[in-house]
Amino acid sequence: MSDVDDVPPVDVTAQLPVVMLRPVRLSWRRRLSRLWIRLRPQKPALRRRIFLTFSLGSFALSAFLAAATYSFAQNSLLRQRDHSAIDQAYRNARALQGDLASQPTASQITNRLHNFGVTQAVVEVQGQWIAVLTFGRAEIPTALQTRVLHDLVASRMVVSIHGEPQILVGIPLPEQNAAYFEFSSLAEVQSTLSGVGRSLLAAAIVTTGIGMLLGALASRRAVRPLAEAAQAAKAIAGGRLDTRLEPTDDPDLRLLAISFNDMAAALQARVERDARFASDVSHELRSPLMTLSASAEVLSSRREELPDEKSRAALDLLVGDVTRFQGLVEDLLEISRFDAGAIRLNREDLVLAEFVRQAVAVSSVPDATIRVSDRGEALVIAGDKRRLARVVANLLDNARFYGSGEISIDVSEVAGETDPLGHAWIAVEDHGAGVPMEERSLVFERFARGGSAGRRSLSEGAGLGLALVDEDVRMHGGRVWVEDRRDGESGARFVIELPAEEVGV
Amino acid sequence: MASMALLGTRHRASCKAMSTHILTVEDDERIRSAVKLALEDEGWTVEEAATGEDAIEAFRRHPAEVVLIDIMLPGIDGFEVCRSIRKTSDVPIVMVTARADTHDIVAGLEAGADDYLTKPFQPKELSARIRALLRRIKPTPSGHSKLLFDDLEIIPEEGKVLRDGEELHLTKTEFRLLVELGQNPGRVFSREALLDKVWGYGYFGDGRLVDVHVRRLRTKVEHDAANPRHVVTVRGLGYRLQ
Repeated sequence: MSDVDDVPPVDVTAQLPVVMLRPVRLSWRRRLSRLWIRLRPQKPALRRRIFLTFSLGSFALSAFLAAATYSFAQNSLLRQRDHSAIDQAYRNARALQGDLASQPTASQITNRLHNFGVTQAVVEVQGQWIAVLTFGRAEIPTALQTRVLHDLVASRMVVSIHGEPQILVGIPLPEQNAAYFEFSSLAEVQSTLSGVGRSLLAAAIVTTGIGMLLGALASRRAVRPLAEAAQAAKAIAGGRLDTRLEPTDDPDLRLLAISFNDMAAALQARVERDARFASDVSHELRSPLMTLSASAEVLSSRREELPDEKSRAALDLLVGDVTRFQGLVEDLLEISRFDAGAIRLNREDLVLAEFVRQAVAVSSVPDATIRVSDRGEALVIAGDKRRLARVVANLLDNARFYGSGEISIDVSEVAGETDPLGHAWIAVEDHGAGVPMEERSLVFERFARGGSAGRRSLSEGAGLGLALVDEDVRMHGGRVWVEDRRDGESGARFVIELPAEEVGV
Repeated sequence: MASMALLGTRHRASCKAMSTHILTVEDDERIRSAVKLALEDEGWTVEEAATGEDAIEAFRRHPAEVVLIDIMLPGIDGFEVCRSIRKTSDVPIVMVTARADTHDIVAGLEAGADDYLTKPFQPKELSARIRALLRRIKPTPSGHSKLLFDDLEIIPEEGKVLRDGEELHLTKTEFRLLVELGQNPGRVFSREALLDKVWGYGYFGDGRLVDVHVRRLRTKVEHDAANPRHVVTVRGLGYRLQ
């Protein structure tokens, strides 16, 4: 900063530095390297990579543009200021030179310079230093003094006085044995520059922000087809077999979409074929079953006319198993309808407690104990009453097959936690062996039969009953599970949770 | 319920005496035979038809007192047979459908069926249905022989409904529905109550039976079925006659 230059050199300004930019560049590097260190060990996900590329790209670009703009502005502003300072100093020096011929007093000189409009200047006349305002000899670096007074070379340099940068131009006036030093402040230039710098920084931040936003959007856009494919695969796995990907024009993605859809179609066809087979078999079984059950009933009504006990026993077996067979075929048909997605609920508002009482009354355990909580009496569900009656009947059947002793059914609001959506519980408890933890999710699978020790070997267990319970409850937006009895005694507790509303008492 | 069961038995006894004539339309010969056996066991006379065309012809020749129609038939289907019979008769019709949750049931009821069963059904269920449909109308408790609703005149004893003095043709079930509603003018009947009184179903009867019959009744009884003045829906509660 304190180098002294010969006057016409113009590139001095290069030394008036990039001060403004430096901190930015520094932190930019630091931030980048920190980011890099953080990200290097792991392989960033595709989305993250796209986002990072956009963010870093926009950041680098905006930083570069800001730096370039700043340095250009700085150069041109300083150069302009430099030129005008030197010009003005020459003009004033020339005018002063004329005046000095008449040997003016110090105050005459300062007045004269004031008239020129000079603010800070120092004049040296025959060893005498005259300050026009506050700056005096002390403010002029000795290097410049030597250059001007001894070498008689007009020079300028940038000095900092009280923290304020000044262009100091020294012009020797050898004819009068004098020298003229003029200061022109760079404060204005500096404040302009710092203003420019601030707005460039802001622009760079905004641009980077936009870049990050675009990056986020672009990355989301880029992975959207993947996310869609994942979603679709999940939907298919969840049973919505008709899920397909939208056809696309993008050649990269088209292949993905086409092969995905082909796969889904093949899967669907296969599952439907299986389901249709089950459904066809059940349909075919229905006709002979009709005949069987009608004939068995005719025989049954003539039971007493049969000649002996053996015939009657055989008839009882026949009638019993025709009924069981019929139930099984109905269940099979029903489950294949669920598989085909052909189930439509015939919903109506049901007063839950009343519904449960009715459903228990027509079940195989009409004398089951029914307990309804206070709030349970006010619960209303939107349900298909005949389907839900089968749900209740199946749970009671299950309790009858596997449990022993008293069977009870509880109707209550969801206990404990606050339940803003509103759900009701219908819980069937038996006194059997309970369901071991590892079998609890299996019991709802098709043809799952509890085979654990302590359970009755069943001759009438439906096999599909609980699977249908699960399907029906899910159709109603609810869920079913099995747990231990609440009172600590041995036995299973099957709970159905259904969306319900509490109707004003 | 008790009095109704009593009525049912009494009626059954009288049926036996007169031997109620039932037409069954079913293409599967073995089912037809088994159903026939079961119904004859109840003391009814059964006439069989294997196709819709045969059924229409048989009914024309000798109108039955109850018709049982399988929807799935070769040639003209059960709906068509139902509509065809309804053109000339108010006979109770029971539809047999494959499944309980499809459009079939509503379509069958709209074609004019009075009740339905899903296959495979127990013959006991079928005879219970038939008995319910054959039940006679109870005499009006008020003793009035005529029920008047503005332009509508119901004469339960004679099984007649007149609108502006002109006789309307209602099916037996529609008539019973109208009389049930009419015997307690202004009272709101829930679907369950009507299912019980008219069809003899309990809590788990299919409410669509009531809805479709009310709809059918309106097209006959009302001047403008879309804006009923007599058979009025009471949202969330049921129906009433005014």
